[in-house]
Amino acid sequence: MHDTHTGIDSPRGVWWKPAHKTEKLWLGIAFAWCMVLFAMMPFWHLKGGQNPSGIRRKVTPAAYYARTQEFIKQYQVGADRGMPIVEPPPGSDVYLTALSFQWTPILKLRKGAEYTLHLSALDVNHGFNLYPVNVNFQVVPGYDYGLRVTPTEAGDFRIVCNEFCGIGHHAMVGRVIVTDEQGNEVAQAERAQILSARDTHRDAATPGAMP
Amino acid sequence: MPKYGIPNGLVNPPRHSPDVDERNAALHGPERGYLGVTPGTVVLVFVFLAAFMLYFFTNWKLLSFVWKIG
Amino acid sequence: MTTATIPAAPRAAAVPRSDFRVCGTTGRRIFHDAEWLIRVNAVASIVALLIGVIAAVGLVLTRWPAVHLLPAQWFYRVLTVHGVSMLIFFIIFFEMAVLHFAGAVLLSSRIAAPKVAWAGTWTMVVGAVLTEIMMWSGKADVLMTSYVPLKAHPLYYLGIILFAVGALVQTIIFFATLVVAKREKTYQGSVPLVTYGAITAAIIAVITLLHGAAIYVPTFLWSLGLIPAIDPQLYRMIWWALGHSSQQINVAAMVSIWYLLGALTVGSVVLNEKISRTAFVLYVLFISMASAHHLLVDPGFSPAWKVVNTSYFMYMAVLASMLHGFTVPASIELGQRLRGFNQGMFGWLKRAPWGDPGFSALIFSIVVFGFVGGITGVTFGTEQINIIAHNTLRVPGHFHATVVAGTAMAFMGVTYYLIPLIFRKQIAFFRLAQWQPYLFAGGMLVFTMSMTFAGTFGAPRRHWDIGFANAPFDVPYHPVVNVMLGFVALGGLTAAFSVFSYILIAVWSVFLGKPYAPGALEHAEVRNPERPRQPTPALAGR
Repeated sequence: MHDTHTGIDSPRGVWWKPAHKTEKLWLGIAFAWCMVLFAMMPFWHLKGGQNPSGIRRKVTPAAYYARTQEFIKQYQVGADRGMPIVEPPPGSDVYLTALSFQWTPILKLRKGAEYTLHLSALDVNHGFNLYPVNVNFQVVPGYDYGLRVTPTEAGDFRIVCNEFCGIGHHAMVGRVIVTDEQGNEVAQAERAQILSARDTHRDAATPGAMP
Repeated sequence: MPKYGIPNGLVNPPRHSPDVDERNAALHGPERGYLGVTPGTVVLVFVFLAAFMLYFFTNWKLLSFVWKIG
Repeated sequence: MTTATIPAAPRAAAVPRSDFRVCGTTGRRIFHDAEWLIRVNAVASIVALLIGVIAAVGLVLTRWPAVHLLPAQWFYRVLTVHGVSMLIFFIIFFEMAVLHFAGAVLLSSRIAAPKVAWAGTWTMVVGAVLTEIMMWSGKADVLMTSYVPLKAHPLYYLGIILFAVGALVQTIIFFATLVVAKREKTYQGSVPLVTYGAITAAIIAVITLLHGAAIYVPTFLWSLGLIPAIDPQLYRMIWWALGHSSQQINVAAMVSIWYLLGALTVGSVVLNEKISRTAFVLYVLFISMASAHHLLVDPGFSPAWKVVNTSYFMYMAVLASMLHGFTVPASIELGQRLRGFNQGMFGWLKRAPWGDPGFSALIFSIVVFGFVGGITGVTFGTEQINIIAHNTLRVPGHFHATVVAGTAMAFMGVTYYLIPLIFRKQIAFFRLAQWQPYLFAGGMLVFTMSMTFAGTFGAPRRHWDIGFANAPFDVPYHPVVNVMLGFVALGGLTAAFSVFSYILIAVWSVFLGKPYAPGALEHAEVRNPERPRQPTPALAGR
């Protein structure tokens, strides 16, 4: 006997009634799908190449920044716009500090080599976004996020801050250079294409465009 | 002056007939397969599931293209 | 056309009370305080919505590079206003109104301790006003999440604390009202499903607000200098326990409204109470720990913690949503089929009252929430996929599809019934009202899908200048990103226009509108009534 009622009427009598075939089918399928959703994560830990595990430690911001300065002193090879360029050997620990409003230092890495990239902040939360690859991590002061990264292509990359950190947030951009396996810099083909298309378009539109 | 109106559910309230319980029971007869009493919804939720699977696995594929990170 | 015969009141009052009226449409007894609590909380929510939507216009016109309207400082300020006004004030004020409706009104009960409920309401108003003043005066340029060590003025935090306390008080009065209703036998049997859903929303609200106290009270003390420091990672963890749980209140409330609108618009029939109620319970059990999906690429937590919290817990909540995703449309389909709309596979949908703004809002809310919001959210909430989504525009693309095109859309749809039933006014600008859900859904669809697509290129959220004019190095995104930001603006402006329409309709109807008295329908100016496709079915007595 059916108790036909809407959601605004009280059910008559006991409402704990068995479900019909269709509802049970959907419940089963939805549950199975949720298990797939779960299973993909441990699967990717075993077989996949991207996991946000890292080596994680608590640090004090000042101590971490000092470690970064040591790292810069040890491996600096040049500078760009006042920012040191650092070329650490493959397999080593790389230290990057986010502070309002810069990423220090500029990193020069080698394609195919693995590094432990340490991320932390001196002052407030920042967001690490590697352009144009689009990998993203939260950079938290007081925490050292040591991610084992292997660049898969050579080129000239950017670090965009994507966590609000103050009035200079949108100008906070860092740089990562990835050389080829032999250690030579290459122009990133796709970016070069975008840049030249943009410059052509802009030059056509406005003479004397900004850099 | 604006034109006024009342939503249809109050003008023409959806009422069920007095024999709705019998008709509901009849709809739920055992000859109904898995499509049950609401075949339209069953189709729609499977379309949803298909979209879900497509989007989900496409994103795993996109992820596989980025740098190795561990 | 059916005349509105008043069905018998559910219970004959032992002692006639002078402080209630009998609803001409549903026969329920509506108590004076319940009605006024709904009205005041609803009006407060519309005021917050107005502030939030004005802010939204400023934001989309700024992120659209061709316009870039606001200067940087004002962009971040208005972004703070938008988040707080919409996600905290608008939605929670509205949910208070929903609680009083689902409790006192649906159960024909008096409000337990009305004076306390009023104290809660006014505390919320004071808190909201205080917070708004702090934000607009530039003392809280920290965004809604106010991640420590960013620091706002102490009164900003105090305003939010007051708001939360007031909401907690009204929620407790809701529970007390349920007890009173049960004891005074104002209804028979179990509470209706809509009320059950509201109860789960209220339970989640308590969990949410306790987490809110846990994070905002220490942060308030820190902003006063009374606590030396707050660990930023701990802050993020507790804040998101508040933040995500509050979204689950919104989901539970939205699903309850889905059942309510289904009942009101098409007589949707509950398929199986056991399934629907169990799905609501799953929301309660699993949502707080599922907040972990905001922390998947944070350094403070192990992979095991992330996987367990994101999966065992979040996926049970996902299962609940997938269940409702079936039972709600199925209830609509069954209700329609039982009323004779039984043609083919989709006749029930094609011949549904699409001119009823409550119905169109219901359908769009379900579809956009599920297909765009749900799918993107669960996908990004995977530990590893989060790497390519975190803090990009994919995230706001996702949550505007859930809480805006989902919850807010449902709330707008139910307003078109609240106005005649509780405010007892006719809907002004009714033609516009019929179009409003379509405009909103269409605008939000364009907005969310463009934003999510822009985010796949890594375009950042919470960011004033996609052109990076003042940055030391250039960041030339693929040109499609700029195009997408243009579409975000166009979709957003369309949706904003529809929200302004909704506010105009609501405010005009309530304050300047024509009274609505069922039984006087023959005399009222009724526009575009849906002609019944069948001969009028016999009146059902229940």
